[in-house]
Amino acid sequence: MEIQLTINDEPTSAEVGPDDDLATVLRRNGYTGVKCGCDGGVCGASKVFVNDEVRMACGVDARDADDAEIETIESLGSQDDLHPIQEAFVDHFAVQCGFCIPGMIIEAKSLLADNPDPSEAEVREAIDDNLCRCTGYQKPVEAILDAADRLRDDRSVAADGGPEAGPTNGADDGDTDD
Amino acid sequence: MTDEPTDPKPDGGTASQPTTEEPDDFEEHPLEWDEPANNDKAPDERKSVSQPAEKFDDRKLVTGEAKYTADYEERFPDLAHAQVVRSEVSHGRVTAIDTDAAEAMDGVHAVLTPWSDEVPDAKYTSAGQSYPEPSPWDMNVLNEHVRYVGDPVAAVAAEDRETAAAAANAVEVEYEEYDHVVDPEEAFDEDAPQLFDQDEVENEIVGHDYDRNRMSNIEGEIGDVDAALDRDDVHVHETEWETIRQSHAQIEKHTSLAYTDEDDRTVLITSTQVPNHTRRQLAHLFDIPIRDVRVKKPRVGGGFGGKQAMVVEPIPLALSLAADRPVIYEASRDEEFGAMRSRHPMKVRARTAVTDDGEIEAIDLYALSNTGAYGSHGMTVAGNVGSKPMPLYSKVPNARFEADIVHTNTPQTGAMRGYGAPQGTLALEGHLDEVARDLDLDPIEFRRDHYMEVGDLDEIAGMMGGEGAERRIRSCGLDECIERGKAAIGWDDIDQPEEDHLHRGVGMALSAQGTGVAGDELGAAQIMMNEDGSFHLQVGGVDIGTGADTAFIQIAAEVLGCDEDDIIVKSSDTDNTPFDYGAYASSTTYISGMAVKKAAEDAKERILDWASRMLDEPAGNLETEDGEVYSEETGDSVTIEDVGYESVYGHDDREHILGKGTHSTEESPPPFAAQFADVTVDERTGEFEVHKLAVAVDCGVAINPGMAEGQIEGANHMSYEMAVSEGVTVDDEGRAEVSDFDEYGLPSASETPPIESILVETHEPTGPFGAKSVAEVPTNTVPPALSNAVREAVGVRINEMPITAEKIKAKLDER
Repeated sequence: MEIQLTINDEPTSAEVGPDDDLATVLRRNGYTGVKCGCDGGVCGASKVFVNDEVRMACGVDARDADDAEIETIESLGSQDDLHPIQEAFVDHFAVQCGFCIPGMIIEAKSLLADNPDPSEAEVREAIDDNLCRCTGYQKPVEAILDAADRLRDDRSVAADGGPEAGPTNGADDGDTDD
Repeated sequence: MTDEPTDPKPDGGTASQPTTEEPDDFEEHPLEWDEPANNDKAPDERKSVSQPAEKFDDRKLVTGEAKYTADYEERFPDLAHAQVVRSEVSHGRVTAIDTDAAEAMDGVHAVLTPWSDEVPDAKYTSAGQSYPEPSPWDMNVLNEHVRYVGDPVAAVAAEDRETAAAAANAVEVEYEEYDHVVDPEEAFDEDAPQLFDQDEVENEIVGHDYDRNRMSNIEGEIGDVDAALDRDDVHVHETEWETIRQSHAQIEKHTSLAYTDEDDRTVLITSTQVPNHTRRQLAHLFDIPIRDVRVKKPRVGGGFGGKQAMVVEPIPLALSLAADRPVIYEASRDEEFGAMRSRHPMKVRARTAVTDDGEIEAIDLYALSNTGAYGSHGMTVAGNVGSKPMPLYSKVPNARFEADIVHTNTPQTGAMRGYGAPQGTLALEGHLDEVARDLDLDPIEFRRDHYMEVGDLDEIAGMMGGEGAERRIRSCGLDECIERGKAAIGWDDIDQPEEDHLHRGVGMALSAQGTGVAGDELGAAQIMMNEDGSFHLQVGGVDIGTGADTAFIQIAAEVLGCDEDDIIVKSSDTDNTPFDYGAYASSTTYISGMAVKKAAEDAKERILDWASRMLDEPAGNLETEDGEVYSEETGDSVTIEDVGYESVYGHDDREHILGKGTHSTEESPPPFAAQFADVTVDERTGEFEVHKLAVAVDCGVAINPGMAEGQIEGANHMSYEMAVSEGVTVDDEGRAEVSDFDEYGLPSASETPPIESILVETHEPTGPFGAKSVAEVPTNTVPPALSNAVREAVGVRINEMPITAEKIKAKLDER
């Protein structure tokens, strides 16, 4: 069936099969910042906003996303103009392989919208279903706490500052010969 | 295994000045390393090294723009998706495979069985190691003789994942079942079911006895351990330890995309730690010239050793040949836990002979390693159980290590961060804690009397022959690691809780690792200058999320005197980047980084030569800094960009400035860690809370301190999991009982205690700008430190991992 959805403010229609989850559909449409690390709904790498609520896209039946407003990692900052949460992750060396990070940043954005001054325990609780194998969570937690400070300091930057375009095909490891 | 190298060291062997009573040792292993002057910079002289340079790929990672293997799908419109049919029996022979229903399905492009033309029938090992591989060739791409639930039997490629899954389900496999064995001690019995016939395996390694399911037995000794154990004036202590089957649990699953390009060459885009090994292995297995195989590594979503192996690549390649189109295979998380690789579960016995006044006369370790159905990394991992932890106590005169590595009908094991050292470190550091208690000695001072220090000749590292080599210790920050770790955890000032049933204890453990495999590494790099003064750095070293690419940039920038932004790094693509053994054995910064340093120095020499002509100054007067070449005599300067333009567009002479570097060494200096764990135990229930982990690491000079801390914290998290999680348990048929993260028990953010990482700087003269490794040593230390902390808190010893409330309660009840 064809569904209508808005992805990062872009009205989009997508053909979906009966077995498609939302992560598959988003990735098929180029939003590959949405990652899949488990067999569905566990690891948190595919987190996106669905109608302003954080959901693991791989655990959402794509047909249920008909008429939904979706926000993915691609709607946050760009490489030249990072969102303050992204900036804090970079500044704190909170990123190693990076595979779980888009989902964690989405969850952090949700947390900080609801709770602008979280405790360390509240940050850990918020990202409890964002599994990370690289960092031991230490630096991501520090980054999110710092991002809270940055957002409180500069409310005006907290709104979505990302590019209008959807996914980009930017830096790609120099694989330009294909 | 090979004999110990007898050649003199590549550098310094002749330059050494024997100054002690042991001239022979010092001639072969000089204390004073012939180090280039530019390698030892005081902190305030470093422009790029030791600075918090931004991780070069972070911006694309945090914006979701970075490309991992699965993200290349969109570039291949006719891409087919693979599924693997895996054995449902623990042990048996496939007697028939009915593929008719699968092949008849719409959208199915290929169905392969062990007997298909495109499937190699040669044996191989999946282990991504040097050549010839020190692992037995004992497996097939698709197997007729199956040895665990999960062994690949057939594979399909179809137009989408759903069709591939349906087709895989439609493949009917018939088996003749054999008896199976799951317990490694039972597997060792004469009458246990046998996994391999001797002639089924090409095994060049020592001590195999397939009649007893033994793939290898290894041993090494210095001094005379039995004589020391028999002495009248020693106490002999003996303890036993057991470790879990830990999953790598990297969040990006094993993913590999294979196709044939327009030049009829075989191309793999694949999530790997070992592009060059994979290229060689695929070429050998599929009988394709190495030159016609190209392995490209995009961003990798974690490896931890799980991708130091050609785990999945042959399957999409065989399918792409059969289907005549690109094929991608992405393992499921279920397959990750049951059919990829894991850490070898082991039982380790530790024995020491110690005098009344606390002199350790002998250390004796024995490990029984369960390698599962196949032998990849089996012998080498087991060797490191002894050869990594034991040299820490290099002052002990007698040392022995022996291991038996046995097959069981359980999932495959392989390389995993720490590579045997976690198992050995638990045994040794837990054991020494018990000995110190028994003799009423301070656990730290007891260790200090025996651990290595600068100037020591570490003979224990050489006791396993080819597994390591005797080495001179030229950097050691253990004392400072201990002092700073103690301060961070509050070692001398532990408050007990007010409640009588709660008891707090702090435990500690030490660890040493290596930095690369001594005498068995190669890294290479080349650097090309652009006319605008920027550089392309092409390096074989493999960044799997560690930040290696950024460390390479910092090393090159430090040499060239340019900004990090002026260096564009490319790794790894076997067509376009130089050779490298890959990301393993804590070698990347040390080996590949040194190759980068040499390449940058080579390019710099040419830059100075050009600048010399442009400035009419001898090259010896010139230095680079902040993007300029200046004369230390006259103060005149040209920019590196000026040199770039002049060198390619010059009137009289022209040159493309290229630098190349290649590095290999017999050295493998140990990094050190001092681990502390702070725990409170409820003696009524055995429940415990870990308040904090603190770990201080001597990694030499940290090229990028923030990234190094990240390595330490991530390693300590993995080590914590080894202490408190069940790992992948198997049922009585050897089937993995874990199929997803919910069942696995990877500690989440709220389940992970705060981890304080402390960098203790020393200078390792054999490493680039004084660096040695960091990523593995903190993987070894939490199980013993936490076991020791629980022992301190409530007086019971948990020596079988994981440490659980139930086990503590049971031990408390026994008292």
